[in-house]
Amino acid sequence: MNRVRLLWALSIVTILAMVLVGCGPAATEAPAVEEPAAEEPAAEVAEEKATVTLWTDPPGGGEAATCLATTVVEPFNEQSDTIVVEVVYQPEAWDAIRTALAGGAGPDIVDTPGPSFVYELVQADQLMALDEFADEFGWGELFVPWALSLGDVDGELYSIADELETLILYYNTAVFEEHGWEPPTTLAELDVLCEEIEAAGVIPFSHGNGDWRPANEWFVGEYLNHVAGPDKVYQALTGEIPWTDPDFVRAIELLNEHQQKGWYMGGLEFYYTTGWDDYIIALASGEAAMKIEGTWVAGALIEQIDTGEYGDNDWDWVPVPSMGGEGIFDLGMGHTWSVNKKAANPRAAAEFLTYFFSPEVQARRFRECDLVPGPVRLEADMLEGVDSRMAEMIVALAEASDAGNYGYTTWTFWPPKSDVYIYEEIERVWAGEIGAREYLEGLREIFDQEFAAGEMPPIPTR
Amino acid sequence: MTRLQEIRHWFGGSTFRKKILPWLLILPILLIHLLVVIGPSLGAFYYSLTDWSGIGAADFIGLDNFRTLFGDVNFRKAFSNNLVWSAFFLTVPFVLALLVASLLAGVQRGAMFYRATIFLPYVLPSVITASIWSNLLNPRLGIGAQLAKLGIPFLNHAFLGNPDTVLLSVAFIDNWHFWGFLMVLFLAAMQNIPPDLYDSAKIDGANRFHEFWHVTLPGIRPTLLFMFMMIAIWSFLVFDYVWLLTQGGPAGASEVLGTFLFREAFNRFEAGYASAIGLTMSFFAALIIGLFGFLRRRGWEI
Repeated sequence: MNRVRLLWALSIVTILAMVLVGCGPAATEAPAVEEPAAEEPAAEVAEEKATVTLWTDPPGGGEAATCLATTVVEPFNEQSDTIVVEVVYQPEAWDAIRTALAGGAGPDIVDTPGPSFVYELVQADQLMALDEFADEFGWGELFVPWALSLGDVDGELYSIADELETLILYYNTAVFEEHGWEPPTTLAELDVLCEEIEAAGVIPFSHGNGDWRPANEWFVGEYLNHVAGPDKVYQALTGEIPWTDPDFVRAIELLNEHQQKGWYMGGLEFYYTTGWDDYIIALASGEAAMKIEGTWVAGALIEQIDTGEYGDNDWDWVPVPSMGGEGIFDLGMGHTWSVNKKAANPRAAAEFLTYFFSPEVQARRFRECDLVPGPVRLEADMLEGVDSRMAEMIVALAEASDAGNYGYTTWTFWPPKSDVYIYEEIERVWAGEIGAREYLEGLREIFDQEFAAGEMPPIPTR
Repeated sequence: MTRLQEIRHWFGGSTFRKKILPWLLILPILLIHLLVVIGPSLGAFYYSLTDWSGIGAADFIGLDNFRTLFGDVNFRKAFSNNLVWSAFFLTVPFVLALLVASLLAGVQRGAMFYRATIFLPYVLPSVITASIWSNLLNPRLGIGAQLAKLGIPFLNHAFLGNPDTVLLSVAFIDNWHFWGFLMVLFLAAMQNIPPDLYDSAKIDGANRFHEFWHVTLPGIRPTLLFMFMMIAIWSFLVFDYVWLLTQGGPAGASEVLGTFLFREAFNRFEAGYASAIGLTMSFFAALIIGLFGFLRRRGWEI
């Protein structure tokens, strides 16, 4: 064969190969990174059962990392005669999900980082309304009163919130006992206590945003709710008062004052460069006395203390102090579950969600995975085997939410652009570039635009 | 001649071989390029003129995004940080790479070892490099803190947590990863300089510095100028180390156009605005390419 013919043949073969590659699976159907062990038996009966897909981040390692599969999906698949759930592990699952949804594909059950993201997906007509399934499966009885309303968009239910969260004040019991300190209940007590802690050469608050810059919003939200009060925050979120109210200005000024005093990790430059492992260890070892963070930290603290490296150091918790001393728990949700508008078996997906949120399954996840349950009604005996301090958190949070003693976390109840503004621009206050009032004026401007456009997540009425 | 013979003759002819066959050979990669690069680039032009959030429909708003951009204080801050970054990378790695390359050019014994050692950081993934240096620069547990315990306090500073030092600290880390690559390029270019030029220079009484200034630098000028242009462009596209180490903080002190774009697109759901930022970055890159094209037409060896 001469050279020309050889080149011609090669070019044809190359073009054909490219065409065949292009005719493979669609780009929006991202390949599975890892399939759970239950995949083979499930596949064998897949033709008889309805298949429901769910994408989630890959396990980071260790037994707890595969909890979703072992404590929920596998038991569900074993007990269901009609449905099989397939878990697909995707790195950066949320990015993969929203890209796939944009391409008209994606998993049947859609996991999003929160209600503000659900709103965007509903506007793009990518999620299914769940009201008929809520009626059919009795979700009104399953969830605590305000929980389902968080998933409403324009009067229809589109998502269910998972991992009920709040922020509390953790403290090192050994350090407190050694110095004769008592956990504070009011902000005035907190101020005095922090001065004493600092004078004793201990860091008042262990924290940093080195691993997660949006952590800034935890403190902005706490100070807004616990200085100005949750009633005022509710009024601002519902548009009754502006974010430039003097009580909010005072809240931001107080947060800035505490940062400038170096109460958070010993100073801003340490705050910005300290990550999760370092600040957990700082509290566990007694280098720091207290920590304001979410209920999600409890498991890590237990794990750290259980290593035995820190002697008699241990931890307990109290509600974050407030102006009047009342216990206020700012409500938050870790993420939400929805159903894809293009799901082949939406009723099967809803049936799985009903199982997922049943009190028995939520209690099992809590016991075996240290994962805080969703906003469902749990009985005390279901929490047997759970660390008593974590069980008390859940009970206290449920009681407080029933009694109306709750506030609002920024990542759950603020619209998306306002939320980003909160955690990004507060650093300019701490850097001295803008004052508290100017910061809140910027928040007001963005919030008012989103409020006028109807881009607000649902706010439970007080 | 039969029809089949005519077809065979045409495919064997020079018209097919010279004009059609090359296009057939590059067609597959060209199609991929159109799909992955040209298509989204044209899409960016369109979306920059809309208020697209990244999800759902996009409404046309004309040049509003660009008007907002040039009044945006965060954009100006990010742009000025990119200029600082450019100034750093158009000097520090060049000086280091030229110095070490000229020293290594004369080394025979152990040459491969030195080259491999200096080049090694370049092959490390940026995530690994960022993780190593964020731990080394940890103000409580890193090198500075440990040296301070030994009575050497001058490095005991939160380089990545201080707005005054964060940008150059991130640039330092990126430079640690990058300059070995530049050194290898310059060394390869130096190997192509005829040795008799150095002999002639020595005869004329040139010392090491004169040889470097009058023989080495002119000899590697095309490589030098090409890398100057590329680094000027890359300096406007920087993203990974800034995002991995500081995400543009604290307080925007290390924000660059790349991180500013990412944040607008994916955190603030302003994909249309982010497209306008991207086009602006491309515009600056095009300016640099245009400048070098102009210089080449004036006879510069680039």
